Amino acid sequence: MSIKDKVPVTILTGFLGSGKTTLLNRILSEEHGKRIAVIENEYGEVGIDQGLVINADEEVFEMSNGCICCTVRGDLIRVLGNLMKRRDKFDYVLVETTGLADPGPVAQTFFMDEEISSEFTLDGIVTLVDAAHIDQQLGRSDESSEQVAFADVLVLNKTDLVSDDALDTLESRLRDMNRMTRIIRAENAKVPIETVLNLSAFDLDHILKRRPTFLEPEYPFEWTGVYDLDAGKYELMLEEGPDPEMSLVALVNQGESEEELKDGAESSVRLYAENANTLEPGNTVPYGEHVNLKLEDKGNKSFILNIEKPTKIGLFTQHTAEEFNMKVIKSEENKEIPFNTERFWQAEHEHDDEVGSIAIERFGDVDPEKLNTWMGRLLSEKGVDIFRTKGFISYSGNPRRIVFQGVHMLFTAQPDKEWGNEPRRNQLVFIGRNLNEKEMQEGFDKCLI
Amino acid sequence: MPDIEPFSPRGMFHEGWTAEVNDYAIACGWALKGKQFIVGDVAGGIFAFEGDTGKIIWKKENTHSGGLLAMAIHPEGEIFATSGQDGNVQICNCHEGKVIKTLDLGKGWVEHLKWSNDGLFLAIASLKKVYVFNEVGEEKWISEDHPSTVSAITWSNKNELATACYGRVTFFDIINNKTNQKLEWQGSLVSMELSPDGDIVACGSQDNSVHFWRRSTGMDAEMTGYPGKPSHLSFDDSGKLLATSGSERITVWSFIGNGPEGTMPGELCHHTEPISSLAFSNKGMLVASGSRDGSVVASFLKNDGNGDPVGAAFAGDLVGAISWRPDDCALAAVNAKGVVNVWKFKVRTNLFSKGFK
Repeated sequence: MSIKDKVPVTILTGFLGSGKTTLLNRILSEEHGKRIAVIENEYGEVGIDQGLVINADEEVFEMSNGCICCTVRGDLIRVLGNLMKRRDKFDYVLVETTGLADPGPVAQTFFMDEEISSEFTLDGIVTLVDAAHIDQQLGRSDESSEQVAFADVLVLNKTDLVSDDALDTLESRLRDMNRMTRIIRAENAKVPIETVLNLSAFDLDHILKRRPTFLEPEYPFEWTGVYDLDAGKYELMLEEGPDPEMSLVALVNQGESEEELKDGAESSVRLYAENANTLEPGNTVPYGEHVNLKLEDKGNKSFILNIEKPTKIGLFTQHTAEEFNMKVIKSEENKEIPFNTERFWQAEHEHDDEVGSIAIERFGDVDPEKLNTWMGRLLSEKGVDIFRTKGFISYSGNPRRIVFQGVHMLFTAQPDKEWGNEPRRNQLVFIGRNLNEKEMQEGFDKCLI
Repeated sequence: MPDIEPFSPRGMFHEGWTAEVNDYAIACGWALKGKQFIVGDVAGGIFAFEGDTGKIIWKKENTHSGGLLAMAIHPEGEIFATSGQDGNVQICNCHEGKVIKTLDLGKGWVEHLKWSNDGLFLAIASLKKVYVFNEVGEEKWISEDHPSTVSAITWSNKNELATACYGRVTFFDIINNKTNQKLEWQGSLVSMELSPDGDIVACGSQDNSVHFWRRSTGMDAEMTGYPGKPSHLSFDDSGKLLATSGSERITVWSFIGNGPEGTMPGELCHHTEPISSLAFSNKGMLVASGSRDGSVVASFLKNDGNGDPVGAAFAGDLVGAISWRPDDCALAAVNAKGVVNVWKFKVRTNLFSKGFK
C-alpha cells in the first residue's frame, strides 16, 4: 500500500481552553468534501455534533523495556484498528487529545504499530495555543512546551485578547522553540481548513517552499554590503543608531554571488568569534579583523577605509546599514559610493527556553555508514530529548535524495525523488530540549565525504 | 507414479461453497452442530447459511448502530451473542436469528464476548469492565474497573474468568465474587489464550513478545523477537502446542518436556503478508491460518512445532476470520470484501481417508 492509499490522520493538541473543540467543530461543519472520523480524548467541554465521533479515554502504554520511544497510545491502536475495517465510511481521521497529552506517544503510535502504520499515515500535528495564557503555561508545564515542539502548525488563538507587540514577542519565542512549525494567528479558532488538514507536514519540501530560509544558520551579524572601490581613501560614516557600538568585519576581494557571500559569512563567523578591537571615530578599519566601532558620540562618526588597489570590500555588520544610516564616502570627492550588493542574515539571539530547534545545512554527500553510526549514537544518547527530526540527506552514489523523519528514537529513512541537476546537499532539523548545536553540527560534519 | 510415497498425512481443500455478505466480514462460526454457518459483517449485518450448501437461511442488517464488534456462538449452537459500538449485546436464536434479549451496557464499545465451556455464562468486556450474564440475559456478576480497557477475556474453568489488560491478567471467581489470581507484567497485552487445562496463560504483548505463565508453579517466561505484535494465538486441543503470529510467519511453541523455555520453536512460513487469523482444528494438530494476502493454509504439525502444509486456498482478500466445522471436515474463511468461502477438508493418511480425528 503506498502512502497515497493510507488514511491521513491529523492530531489536534493544545491546553484545555485553547479552542480545540471550536476548531474541531469548525472543521466538521465546513464544506470540504472530506468524510472525517473523529477520535475524541477530551470530551465534555463542548459537544460535537457529527456522525462519526468516537470517544476514547487516553491510554498511554509504556513497555517493559522502559523505553519512552516505545510508549504508544493503546486507545488509538484499538479504535483505529476497528476503524480501518470501515474505510468506505471516512477518508480522514482527526484525533483530539487532552490538554495534558504528551504528543510523543501519539506520534509514535504511527511508527511503532505495524498494523496502524500499514493503514494510516500521520499527516500532521496541529497545536492550538491560547495567546493570552501560553507564556505562563510554557513556564509551568513540560506538556505545553512539548506540544509546541511537536507542532507542524501552531494556531495562535485568541489574538484579539493580546496586543500586536505581545503577539510578535510570543511568535518569536514560539519560533525559537520550533523552527519547523508554521504559525497562524486566529481569533476564535478561525483558520482556513487547508492550513490544518492535508498538510503532508512530514514533508520537508513543503516547509522549505513556505520559508526557504528556515534552515539557515544564525549569524552574529545581520547585514553585508559589497562595495566596488577604486584605490584611495574612504570614510565609513554612521549616524546614531540603536546601539552605542557595533561589531564589524571588513573583507577584501569579497565576491557577490550567493556562494561567495556565504563563504565570506563563514570567514566572518570565525573572525567574530575572536575578541574585537575597539575603534574610535577617525581610526582606520583593518581588513580581516573583528572590530568594535565606538558610536557613543552624537552626530556623524567616520572611520577610515584605505584601498591600495581596486577591490570589492565586504562589510559584515552586526546591525543593518539602515539602522545607522551607514554610508561609504570617497573622501576626495565627498561622494557616496552605494553598495553593489547587500545580503541580510538571520541574526543570532538569546534562547530562553529549554526547547529549541537546531538546523544543519551542508552541501555535498554523506557516507551512509558514518551517518548511521552517528545518528544511532545521537538518538540512543539524546533520543529522549530529541522530539522530532526531519530532513533530506544526500547519500554518495545514490541518485535519489533520502528523506529522514523521526519521533524521539524512532527513525525512518526513505528514498525520495531524484536529485537531477539540483546541487547535492543535506538539510536536517532537530527539535528538542537542551540540544548542543555545535556538537551536533560537528558530529554531522564528520559524516560528510 | 505409484512408487512415490506421499508424506503422511496429506489433506486438501475440496470445493465447498461460497456466498457473500454486505460488508467486511469480521466474525464467523458454526452453529447447530455444523448444520449452520453464521457470519457477521462490520456494518452489523448477520447472515446464516446452510452449512452444507451455503444457501441463505436468514439475514438481518444494522443490528448494532455504528457497527458490529464481536460475535460468539453458544457451545451447544442453539443461540449466539453479538455486540457492537452501540454498547449493546444481543442474544439471538440461531434458527431464525430472532433477538431473545438485548443488554444495554452503556456508551462504550463492547469488544469481547465469550461463552463459558458449559454454556451457562456469557462474559462481556466493555471499556474497563467485564460483565457476566447467564443464557437468558440475567446479570450475574460485574467486575470493578480494570486499570485500562480490557483487551481479552477467556474462561479458565466453568466459574473462573480470565481478563487481560495493560499490565496484568486477572482470574475472577464469578460465583463467589473474588479475585483468585493476578499475574502482572508491565506491557500492553493485546491477546490471550489459555491451554485447555487452564494452567498455561499466553498473552501477546504490544512490545512484540509473547508472555506466558504457568498458574500451578507461578513460573513465567517471555518469548521475544517477534517482528510484530502477536495478535493471534491458538492452543491445540491437547495443550501441547501454542501457535502464535505477529507477522507473515507462524511461530509454534511446544510445551512437551521442559519446553518451550530454552527450545527452538517451529516456524511456518507459508504466507507473504501478516497473519490475520489463526485457529487449531477442534481435534488434532492441524492449524489453519489466514493472511492479509488472502491465502488460507492448513498445516499439520509435529510435536516440536514444525510441520508441513497439507492444503491451501485463496480466499480473495484479507482473511477476517476462519473457523473449523465442529467435525473438522470443513474450514470456513470470511474476507474483507464480504466473501464467504467454505472448503470441504479431507485428510488422507496411509491408514484411513476421512476427516482428521
